[in-house]
Amino acid sequence: MNLEILFMNGYGIYVWSSFIFTFVVCLYFYLKTKKTLKKLEKNFIKETETLSKIELENLKKQKVVREILVSHSKN
Amino acid sequence: MIKYLNPSYIFNLTGKILNLVKFFIIPIIIVGIIFSLFLSPKDYIQGDVVRIMYVHVPAAWISLLSFGTLSLLCIINFIFKIKSVTLVYKSLAPIGLTFNVIAIFTGSVWGQPTWGTWWAWDARLTSMLILMFFYIAFILSYKFIRDPINSSRICTGISIAGLINLVVIKYSVIWWSTLHQPASVNLTGETTIHISMLIPLSVMLLAFLLYCALIFLMKYRIETIRVKKKGIK
Repeated sequence: MNLEILFMNGYGIYVWSSFIFTFVVCLYFYLKTKKTLKKLEKNFIKETETLSKIELENLKKQKVVREILVSHSKN
Repeated sequence: MIKYLNPSYIFNLTGKILNLVKFFIIPIIIVGIIFSLFLSPKDYIQGDVVRIMYVHVPAAWISLLSFGTLSLLCIINFIFKIKSVTLVYKSLAPIGLTFNVIAIFTGSVWGQPTWGTWWAWDARLTSMLILMFFYIAFILSYKFIRDPINSSRICTGISIAGLINLVVIKYSVIWWSTLHQPASVNLTGETTIHISMLIPLSVMLLAFLLYCALIFLMKYRIETIRVKKKGIK
């Protein structure tokens, strides 16, 4: 392995730390957002299950609700 | 036009675009990293440390662009009261803050070998730090102020004040004698950066923009579900 790529004439620590920091922050933010989305979708489905049949039918009249239910079942 | 503002239409569209973005993002990030770390040339003065530019500059641009967009959306929402606009700016603000933090951190790391200091109270650096406080204030306002009218008013106030700061950020390197260099890439004026560096910079910008789109779409879905959940209770 060419160590020059790693050390970059002594600047490697600055370059690599910048890239690693950026990608770690982005990855953490992505995973956190994904987890929140999954959790919210799950909770939403749970709450709709507690509703009576009539309430659920009324709720399903809203297109967005139908989309949420469909998208969750796809995943 | 009404169709495009319909929450169910937007929600459905976010799902489709999300899949498309997921498909393209990884190859573009890999190409961006290869270009910026291995293929792009060294700077004749700074050497390899110039590679920090490929994460610092796109992050700073996105942070400015996000704030500009959310300010515009706040003003539109303040005048026309469109619900889906609120969801958009709530989804956009955390992304802008993240990139603002990345820009400040990588800028500080870049400053040490080039200026000999991690931080200086220079006009550009300070105004970027102030932008971070605007982002934090904006996020706290919509998170903790329960009354939507009050929250919207305060968010609009913060975003307008932040807009003034954006102008200061843009012209800080011209108005004051700063450590930070003037812009090398100009949409309207002359671009002084060499094509061999402009290509990796553009690829990394595209990768970051795709990442923003990915997070934004997920956040938008989160905010929509939150609104609908409130409706059930």
